[in-house]
Amino acid sequence: MPSAQPLASKEASLFRNVLKFYETKQYKKGLKSAEQILKKYPKHGETLAMKGLLINCQGKTEDAFLIAKEALKQDMKSHVCWHVYGLLYRSQKNFDEAIKAYKMALRFEPDSQQILRDLALLQIQMRDYNGYIESRRLMVMSKPQIRQNWTGLAIAYHLAGNLTEAENVLTKYEETLKQPPPRSDLENSEAILYKNYIIAEAGDYQKALDHLEVIAKTAIDKVAILEARADYQLKLEKNKEAEKSYRVLLDRNQEKRAYYAGLEKSLGLEGEARVKIYEELAEQYPRADAPKRIPLDFLEGDAFKTAAQKYLDWRLKRAAPSTFTSLKALYGDVAKRECLQSLVEAFLSEKRAEKPAENGDDLTNGSSPNNSVLIYTLYYLSQHHDHWRIRDTDKALSYINEALELAPDNADQGELRLGLARILKHAGNVRKAMEEMDNARQKDKSDRYYNTKCSKYMLRNDCNEEAIKTMGLFTRQNDVNGPLGDLLEMQCVWYITEDGESYVRQGKFGLALKRFHAIYKIFEDWTDDQFDFHSFSLRKGMIRSYIEMVRWEDSLWSHPFFRRAAINSIKLYLLLNDKPHLAHGSLANGTGDDAVDFESLSTADRKKAMKKAKREAQKQEKAAAEAAAKAKDERKGGEEKKQDDDPFGAKLAQTSEPLEKALTWLKPLLEFSPNFLEGQTAGFDIYMKRKKYLLALKCLLAAHSLAPEDPVVHEQIARFQLFLNSKPELSPTVQTIIDETFTIAPKEGTLSQFNEAYLSSHGEKNAKAVFSVIKARQALAASEGSKSDAEGTDSESLLFEILKKNETSLKEAMEGLGMLKDMKGDVGRYTEEARSRWPVANVFEAKA
Amino acid sequence: MDIIMLHPSHIPHVQTCNITNLPENYFAKYYLYHALTWPQLSYVAIDLSKPPRSKNDPPKIVGYVLAKMEEEPVDGIPHGHITSLSVMRTHRRLGLAEKLMRQSQKAMVETFGAKYVSLHVRVSNKAALRLYKDTLQFEVEKVESKYYADGEDAFSMKQDLNFIWEQVKLDDESLRKDEKTKTEGDGTADHDEGDPVGDEGQEDNKKKKEVMRKVKIGRALGVSDLVEKVETPKAAS
Repeated sequence: MPSAQPLASKEASLFRNVLKFYETKQYKKGLKSAEQILKKYPKHGETLAMKGLLINCQGKTEDAFLIAKEALKQDMKSHVCWHVYGLLYRSQKNFDEAIKAYKMALRFEPDSQQILRDLALLQIQMRDYNGYIESRRLMVMSKPQIRQNWTGLAIAYHLAGNLTEAENVLTKYEETLKQPPPRSDLENSEAILYKNYIIAEAGDYQKALDHLEVIAKTAIDKVAILEARADYQLKLEKNKEAEKSYRVLLDRNQEKRAYYAGLEKSLGLEGEARVKIYEELAEQYPRADAPKRIPLDFLEGDAFKTAAQKYLDWRLKRAAPSTFTSLKALYGDVAKRECLQSLVEAFLSEKRAEKPAENGDDLTNGSSPNNSVLIYTLYYLSQHHDHWRIRDTDKALSYINEALELAPDNADQGELRLGLARILKHAGNVRKAMEEMDNARQKDKSDRYYNTKCSKYMLRNDCNEEAIKTMGLFTRQNDVNGPLGDLLEMQCVWYITEDGESYVRQGKFGLALKRFHAIYKIFEDWTDDQFDFHSFSLRKGMIRSYIEMVRWEDSLWSHPFFRRAAINSIKLYLLLNDKPHLAHGSLANGTGDDAVDFESLSTADRKKAMKKAKREAQKQEKAAAEAAAKAKDERKGGEEKKQDDDPFGAKLAQTSEPLEKALTWLKPLLEFSPNFLEGQTAGFDIYMKRKKYLLALKCLLAAHSLAPEDPVVHEQIARFQLFLNSKPELSPTVQTIIDETFTIAPKEGTLSQFNEAYLSSHGEKNAKAVFSVIKARQALAASEGSKSDAEGTDSESLLFEILKKNETSLKEAMEGLGMLKDMKGDVGRYTEEARSRWPVANVFEAKA
Repeated sequence: MDIIMLHPSHIPHVQTCNITNLPENYFAKYYLYHALTWPQLSYVAIDLSKPPRSKNDPPKIVGYVLAKMEEEPVDGIPHGHITSLSVMRTHRRLGLAEKLMRQSQKAMVETFGAKYVSLHVRVSNKAALRLYKDTLQFEVEKVESKYYADGEDAFSMKQDLNFIWEQVKLDDESLRKDEKTKTEGDGTADHDEGDPVGDEGQEDNKKKKEVMRKVKIGRALGVSDLVEKVETPKAAS
């Protein structure tokens, strides 16, 4: 459609220049030309639109939108104006609005392939499958000779779940080919495999197998063909053929469990009868680990012992530090782990009896071979005793120390120091663990693995400054924001998370939130990352991988990396909701004994303390800003980066709506990880505070069906019942729904009886159950307006009792200590008892 | 330890493995770029020692090889390139690096007709050098001066893949004997379907480590910008 506002020829040519400059990213020149046009035609809509687009590229988003709106006002029927409007929204990631604008643009210019393409990309990004199908259909109609268009339409149907139509579309294109494409046609090779993938997904394996045999010669992804064939044959119970296919696959790769499972199934073997094929394969492939290791999973008793002995011999003789790692999956089975222990001990005494060889092969650098076998046998035993199911720190330490004495060589020393540090960490001495890990690092400073672990242990010991400095030994040196800037850019999730958790421990909630929000941002980036591949993959033709990527992206936010940051953030926001003063750094060090006990202050003193905290925070920010500015000056010609206006996360922590913020973390948890218990229990907490009782109940019911006996679930049931007991004013509908669905409510007796009954059934050895019972008691007492002294004393003695139990872990003991502090109990006695139970630990030491 | 093809869902953990072990790091999009352009060439080693917390959780990665085809080979010969390879220190001496590399190399030949594979390694990285030279039989081709961001030189190494072509041919012959299905092959390539024999046994490698390739790219760039030829040299510090 011709523009409603024609330009004179000089300006028309200038306008073409504007478009050209935009496409070649010469924004300044583009703007100059646009201004020239506007001098003569100040109300020219399309030029205004382009001006908006250009200044948006220079980062002036707000102005860009104003101008683009003005452009539309001047020329409502211009596809350019609407297209630009859509592009602006797209740049802001407001995809819904962008789609609307593109659709308007298309209405005025139905034949524009460019707009159609932009629209289609947004539709698939937004998973608007029907819209995508429609756009892709239009693209096929306009250019049916291009294969990509057909494949794109098939993808649209496929992702929308219409497998039949997806297959049809691919077939229709194939039928237009006069002769089959050559083998070298990668796009064809992948397209026919993609079709096979769709047929199989529809469940017709016979058809898939027949089709596979037809295409097998033309498709060049050999592994895909072989795997699909074996899989279909097995599903069709063509066991003889399947067996053959799996043997072919195993011949290519002996370290893939799925192949062994397929082979077992094709042979109809179960239980210990399977051991025979593994023995054969172990002989056939002497270097393979899997055929030797897998039988240990299913063998029992003497058969296990024989196989384990063989496996241990093979591994220990090679002095591999990873032998324990290969076997620890078996440790849930008491008999197996005891058997392994005695086998390794026997191996050890054998080795000890042997005289050290004088001229052995140089197996590891430095240590003589016999020595290094001995060393790594000792290493195994140290790891064995350090395993959480055993956790005999003394024995673990004595084995590792003996190994250290035998290992003069740096490489072995590093490895062993690493083991020592791990034992110390598990034993609760984070400071010594850090020191030992630093020793390991010193053994080989060029090894980033040591360096990484050292930084991690520094964070565990809350030495954030040292940690980032250590990380900085390997990060890019020229990042504007220092090592942390590089780690953020490289999406180093583990570090950012650990740093955040360390700040939580130190009560620096702003910084903690800052880190967790960085994780959120990384997930947003990972979501955005797929955008380019919607078009890229069609060009490259690797469609099956693209489909896998789309499906992975659909469940991206269920990733454990996200869940961990989410639970951390939610806990902080809940805390900040209850105690907003904690947002102020210096008032938040409530974990240290020297901190201001804010809650016991008078109102006037509180105000004073708040003011002081704010002043301190301002000072800190100013200093940081100055430092940043200075760093910027020192850099010459470096890339400009956006100034962080909240480097300490103070604004994050001082939010006026912590519960709303918590919700932004909760929603992905509930949507993508509905079976994640901690997500549901966090949801209960948030919704209760938001007074959304039905949503809270929904979470509680979900949590209960996941883990009916879980201590937190118990406590939440009690709290919900307590809430109902308080006779809240609820609408009749809400009341009815609660009455009908809260079927897990305590049935008979008082709430207190319900709680005490849980204690007697679960509290014997389960520290978490005890904590939950105490918390429920406290909630009950609070609702009655007074704390019953008798129960308070009893709760305290419960904490002492559970501290003595073998089942109680160090981490639980620390949680118990926290509770005792809140209860103002006998902290001194508790730490003393904890120290005598965990003598190596430093976490129970009184802080200086 | 399982050795399987890289799947997009592995990428966050592969990224962790990489940044734990090596100084050359990439954001997720660069891994995606590999996985979606040459999906057959990258492999991961999976830790089976801990069952995942829930069944859809991604597995922990203890080693990987990230590989590609050279997009515009200067010499005009199709060849592969190892972008990055590393194995966690806790999982060394298991032969994982070699096993990963062999899977990748085979696919380079079978799927993309690669004649050789190249890589870069820091001149100071003795462990990696030993792995490539002794265990994997790469040869040093030349030294690339100041290849790395910190100014260090790189050895440019390569390995002829002829030995894999031989295997593939053998496999084809043995398979052709009992081939049942017939299709009209176009006969444009001299290696058809078939199943190669297993990797030749080699001495167990004692240390395996890293190689790297520098890539300087902004995450926000389009995928087509991710190819290495557009990289701007990093300032040495």
